[in-house]
Amino acid sequence: MRPPVVDLDGVAKTYGDVAALADAHLTVRRGEMLAIVGPSGSGKSTMLNIMGTLARPTAGTVRIDGHAVDDLSDRELSALRARTIGFVFQSFHLAGGVPALDAVADGLLYSGLPRGDRRRLAEAALRRVGLGPRLYSEPHQLSGGEKQRVAIARAVVGDPPLLLADEPTGALDSRSGAVVMELLHELHGAGTTVVVITHDRDIAESLPREVRIKDGRIEHDSAALRQEAVAR
Amino acid sequence: MSTLTPPQPAPSPAPEPSPARRPKPARLSLADVIRTGGSGLRSRPMRVFLSALGIAIGIAAMIGVVGISTSSQEELSRKLAALGTNLLTAEPGQSFTGEQAHLPDDAVRMARAVPEMESVSAIGKTDAKVYRNDRVPPQETGGLSVYAARTDLPDTVGIEVTGGRWLNAANTKYPAVVLGSRTAQQLGIDEAGPDAQVWLGDRWFTVIGLLAPNELAPELDSAALVGWPAAERELGFDGYPTTVYTRAEEAAVTDVQEILGATVNPESPNEVEVSRPSDALAAKQATDDALSGLLLGLGAVALLVGGVGVANTMVISVLERRAEIGLRRSLGATRGQIRTQFLCESLLLSALGGVGGVALGIAVTTGYAGYQGWPTVVPLWAMAGGVGATLIIGGLAGFYPAVRAARLPPTEALAAA
Repeated sequence: MRPPVVDLDGVAKTYGDVAALADAHLTVRRGEMLAIVGPSGSGKSTMLNIMGTLARPTAGTVRIDGHAVDDLSDRELSALRARTIGFVFQSFHLAGGVPALDAVADGLLYSGLPRGDRRRLAEAALRRVGLGPRLYSEPHQLSGGEKQRVAIARAVVGDPPLLLADEPTGALDSRSGAVVMELLHELHGAGTTVVVITHDRDIAESLPREVRIKDGRIEHDSAALRQEAVAR
Repeated sequence: MSTLTPPQPAPSPAPEPSPARRPKPARLSLADVIRTGGSGLRSRPMRVFLSALGIAIGIAAMIGVVGISTSSQEELSRKLAALGTNLLTAEPGQSFTGEQAHLPDDAVRMARAVPEMESVSAIGKTDAKVYRNDRVPPQETGGLSVYAARTDLPDTVGIEVTGGRWLNAANTKYPAVVLGSRTAQQLGIDEAGPDAQVWLGDRWFTVIGLLAPNELAPELDSAALVGWPAAERELGFDGYPTTVYTRAEEAAVTDVQEILGATVNPESPNEVEVSRPSDALAAKQATDDALSGLLLGLGAVALLVGGVGVANTMVISVLERRAEIGLRRSLGATRGQIRTQFLCESLLLSALGGVGGVALGIAVTTGYAGYQGWPTVVPLWAMAGGVGATLIIGGLAGFYPAVRAARLPPTEALAAA
């Protein structure tokens, strides 16, 4: 069995009196592709923050790529993110005036690689997402879909075992969105673990595994259902 | 669609032991730190320019003050080097009873007897006055004095004759006069020659020479100098010298200064006032230092205000760039790396102002010194100090914003987008 990349065990997160996430159990193994789907306010962003080690849980244990998040200091978590997790955001997060090649190379800034290597890998990543001719384009010269492909290239340039995509098609028209989803499928095909956080049920249903979340609780996990079916 | 993940029990059967290697953050190279710090500046050039300008004005003011005062000091030392610091004068002071004393008539000869003496000369004040012509009322003397002068005066004092010639053995007996620069100007004499006549002691004197201004002996600027014998014969001069000028060997000047009084007037040495004109010139310079101190203080205030400007820019920068901070944290930046980035940005910003300010200060100094005809001197310590001060200010101004940026939780920072 492949080792788990994400392992949540009884994870809860409360903000004051509000429980954003309660008693969540979830295991994502290497090479999986899944959707975490739910309406806004369901707790899926909290889930993303906890899986991405950007926030610590109030209760329960989180293991990312074998590391117990509780045991790690803030510095060590930063290092874990630099090596293990790639993020894709709905709003791209591309700085104005920075060419695509530099934006993607920045994805490796905190990895310890020298600049020449970072730029070389960035060029390869941009070619991989089909933006070979757009290496020196700045964000204002790119379409929404192209911007998100630059952001995806930045997330995968270090070949992280886990890719977290937060509403990756949320700011795109349906055609550009389809291209981005296709790209994520390709990355998954090449072995990357892809977790897509979305409110879009169609996208969720198109992925191999679907985890539905509502009011801070996981109410449906297609993998768990299959597992029960096998058990019967 | 790709292959389904095989079903598996959840949660995982046994907690795996933590991997032996704990993740360790990589260090950024210095070049990366500077490049990252500079990225924030490149994206807001106008704001950077204005903030740096605040610092630059403060530094330029301080460099300018130091540079101008150093340049004027350099000018003084060049002047002193040209004029010499070995000129000593001896003048009669007051006698024991409070009356005006006078030097012995052989004071010059006695001074010359000192072995370290290079040259000695003297002038003697007469009671005569000099006028443009015979119609000027006698009380309108214009502050000009008439002196009897020895022929070796220019060699000793170092005074230059700009027009005509100096008194010599031939013309000292005749009504011939050499005018100081201010005297000539006041009497309206532009040129020496047989046509240039002034009314001096109830008769006409011919102006045979004009003198250049002299800073070591400013009393000669407003003097009319006539030959010693002519003064005695035409003007009723008593023959006592009123100022003895001496040039001593450079190394022996202070020793000679001590004995000069007793040398020129052995009977009553305490009735002689000995002075060194180059000291007076240097002392005049020192009084300007108080003003320099005030201007330096103003520069420091300007620098402080500039520092507050940089702090303000950095606080705003951190607020505006929360999303960038969140992104960098998600890419794996540690708090320390975020702190370093903003501190570096602040240092770069103020260093920019510091270097600009030093350049501006040099330009101001060059301009002012050029206008005054001084050499331009900006001390290296002032330039290094200026840049150093801006770095300290940048560090102080950037510290709080940088700490704030580092403390921002990544989730909150990302939500700001």
